[in-house]
Amino acid sequence: MASANQENDRPQNIRAMMTFLREHAPFSSMDDTHLAHFAENASIQFYADGDVVLSPDQGVVKRFYVVKQGRIRGERHNEKEDRTETTFEISQGECFPLAAMIGERPTRTLHRADGDTFCLSIGQTAFVTLFAESEPFRDFCLRGVSSLLDQVNRRIQSSAMASIGSSTSLDTPLERYALRNPIVCSPDLPVRKAVARMHENNVGSIIVTDENRHPTGIFTLRDLRTMIAEGTGPLDTPIQQVMTKNPCCLPSHADAFEAAMLMAEHHFAHLCVIDDDHKLIGVVSERDLFSLQRVDLVNLARTIGTATHLRTLVSLRTDVSRLVDAMLAHGADSGQVVKIITTLNDVTVRRVLELNIKKNDPGIPFTWLTFGSEGRQEQTLLTDQDNGILFQTPEDMTEEQVREKLLPFARKVNDELAECGFTLCKGNIMASNPKLCLSDREWDDWFIRFIDASTPQNLVYSSIFLDMRAIYGPTEPLDALLDKVLTRIRKNALFQKMLAGNAFQRKPPLTMFRNFRYISEGNKHSLDLKRQGLAPFVEAVRVFALANGVETANTLERMDELAKKGVFDPKDANAWKEAYSLIQAIRMRAHQEMLAKEEELTNYIDPDDLNPLDRRILRESFRQAQRLQQKLEVTYQL
Amino acid sequence: MLEQIKQWIEQRRGGKIGSHDPDNLPTPKTPGEQLLTDCRLIVLDLETTGLNASKDQVIAIGAVAIRGGIIPLSDQFDLILRRPELDISETVLIHGIGPEALTQGHEIEDALLYLLEWMNGDPILAYHSAFDQKFLEKTLKAQLGYTQPHTWMDVADLMPAFFPNTKTGGKGLDNWADFFGLEVSERHHAASDALATAELTLVALNKARGEGVKTLKGLYDKLHYHRRLQKMHRF
Repeated sequence: MASANQENDRPQNIRAMMTFLREHAPFSSMDDTHLAHFAENASIQFYADGDVVLSPDQGVVKRFYVVKQGRIRGERHNEKEDRTETTFEISQGECFPLAAMIGERPTRTLHRADGDTFCLSIGQTAFVTLFAESEPFRDFCLRGVSSLLDQVNRRIQSSAMASIGSSTSLDTPLERYALRNPIVCSPDLPVRKAVARMHENNVGSIIVTDENRHPTGIFTLRDLRTMIAEGTGPLDTPIQQVMTKNPCCLPSHADAFEAAMLMAEHHFAHLCVIDDDHKLIGVVSERDLFSLQRVDLVNLARTIGTATHLRTLVSLRTDVSRLVDAMLAHGADSGQVVKIITTLNDVTVRRVLELNIKKNDPGIPFTWLTFGSEGRQEQTLLTDQDNGILFQTPEDMTEEQVREKLLPFARKVNDELAECGFTLCKGNIMASNPKLCLSDREWDDWFIRFIDASTPQNLVYSSIFLDMRAIYGPTEPLDALLDKVLTRIRKNALFQKMLAGNAFQRKPPLTMFRNFRYISEGNKHSLDLKRQGLAPFVEAVRVFALANGVETANTLERMDELAKKGVFDPKDANAWKEAYSLIQAIRMRAHQEMLAKEEELTNYIDPDDLNPLDRRILRESFRQAQRLQQKLEVTYQL
Repeated sequence: MLEQIKQWIEQRRGGKIGSHDPDNLPTPKTPGEQLLTDCRLIVLDLETTGLNASKDQVIAIGAVAIRGGIIPLSDQFDLILRRPELDISETVLIHGIGPEALTQGHEIEDALLYLLEWMNGDPILAYHSAFDQKFLEKTLKAQLGYTQPHTWMDVADLMPAFFPNTKTGGKGLDNWADFFGLEVSERHHAASDALATAELTLVALNKARGEGVKTLKGLYDKLHYHRRLQKMHRF
């Protein structure tokens, strides 16, 4: 009775403040009694546009604020350029200052009202009480603003955990685990040949089937060991004499738990998966079941690198996606994950090239180049091909003759990569394009034209060709080429300025009022995280990197280098790296979610679908992109 | 035992609030050299059964305090008066206080004594304060025989005094609240309207500080000057 009335017993204004607070983190997860304690001890203050709310010279921070209405901006003085910069913005429902309040120290940033602003605030006593009594409040304060990254990672981890949990749970039907197209042989095959077949396919077991594809026996490496150790017979023995007869079989709709139980009971390492007609569909090994728990990067890379057939490579792509889930779940940051995806993609591309050379060697050494995001080592699961070939013309041949040999080969590689999930490039930026299969001299000419005679049109290509990497073949020719290109760009201020102007065109999706600016065409409420979110960083950083002779193509590494060279303020570089990584993390999480729902991968998200924290993070990240562009603007006088 | 239960029921129904000393009520303060950054102001709003002070009655009192330019929510007043006999059929739709609430409200005499003690004689601000002043003075006189004059200031004058030529589209509380983007949690709830009025007052006090108005007297004079100016314009 009393508790039911409690809400009504509170004065109207306290109830109203509680309602307001409840809409924002961390208050949304706090108990009513704690919210009431906050509201009852709160004061309302007003700050007119430009008023100082908190400043470093006011001494130790005594109050904890929530913006009730309006906005607060943090200001820092940039001594190098002698101007004031906005370092952060705090809008309705957000709290400040966290670090200073917890650290019982003065704030380090001047907090100023941006427009007419009302704040709610509580004093130290109420703050300490809430801090001690409310766990969500304490968590929020301790994590602080500086570790927004942690919060995002934690959230990504928990959702990835959930997806791993469901895919590895032991009640998943076996057919999802079973290796399709298992290695089989007929009962009369000599053991020697059967083992050769196992070796060829890098498997530990072979299933012996009759003419109806019914499994009649299984022969494993363990059987081979026993056979040799005990000298049961020569290697020419037909396999049916040494195989384990009547192998353990389970229907495809049985679940992983049954399989695990059966294996444990009989000490079998392999099980046949059969259909209703008792025909063999696949094989499940103990390792398959186990590996689902933990996808091992090294092992996966090795498996890709030694795959003997295209179809194996194709099937391994699902493992890559599973690995990404696992990585995110184990707390890898987005920068690491994109590098790992790139590494695995590189291994796949190399293996496709090797397999094709084995089958049909064009006979001319070449360097396989990748451009764009793959060149920057920033690939996610949604990726298309951007590649080319760099060759050195043998003395007795013309460049055209070399191309005649390399182009059909490149065509085949492009097609096979498409089968592996690397979408064919719509713009035909592919090695099979005669314009991108060039000798070192031709590439050099191409860059001279690109840099010295740049037009707004060909600047479109800067995002592709200025982020370049060799992933197969000798690297020296590319190093030599890049050396010349970088020198040329460093000397060409006009080109730099044009690049900067081009990069400046990509505005982060924020309106004047700091709301999200949606893409105009098609999807009304969607943001393109790649084009609108990441590209402003990538493009602006590229300009600074090329202008300052930074050789690496990776955006995060470029920022590190630029900070080392003193081009970027280290604090700025960190903020930009963090913002870039956060957008990337939100994008990757969206990809994993789309994958789980079996939707086509896109880079579009609707910010309304994000929780308030992510929305705030995204907005702040976009604002960092604006700051980076401001630097571009100032440096190149745009 | 029975006495205790009776007392308990009384309290549950919002009866007496503490003990009062009707003979030693705080003396109303006059606007002097008190600094605006120090002094306490009362911002008050009443809900009544109608607009006619000679026959309508006060049914709810909401008030917040401003101290040194901030509103501490710990210092506020929010009471419904016990008036079961009143006909509220005409206004129930505006303030939402129904007959049941009126029977369970606070005993009037007790509530008014508490109000006077809580106000501590500090200057009272209200939106269209003439209305609230008339009703409150009438009620205080009728219930307690209390006739001491308090200092009243009208926020409806205060706003145009500090923000002349502002296009608010009207002179009401809603117009100014909209102009400054205030969210009024529950319009026509005495406490909620009082808070909105107090927030507008904060905006005005901020401007006052910028214009060098430092004392209560300075603020009072500015209001009078504004009102004289208004009257002159009328002729």
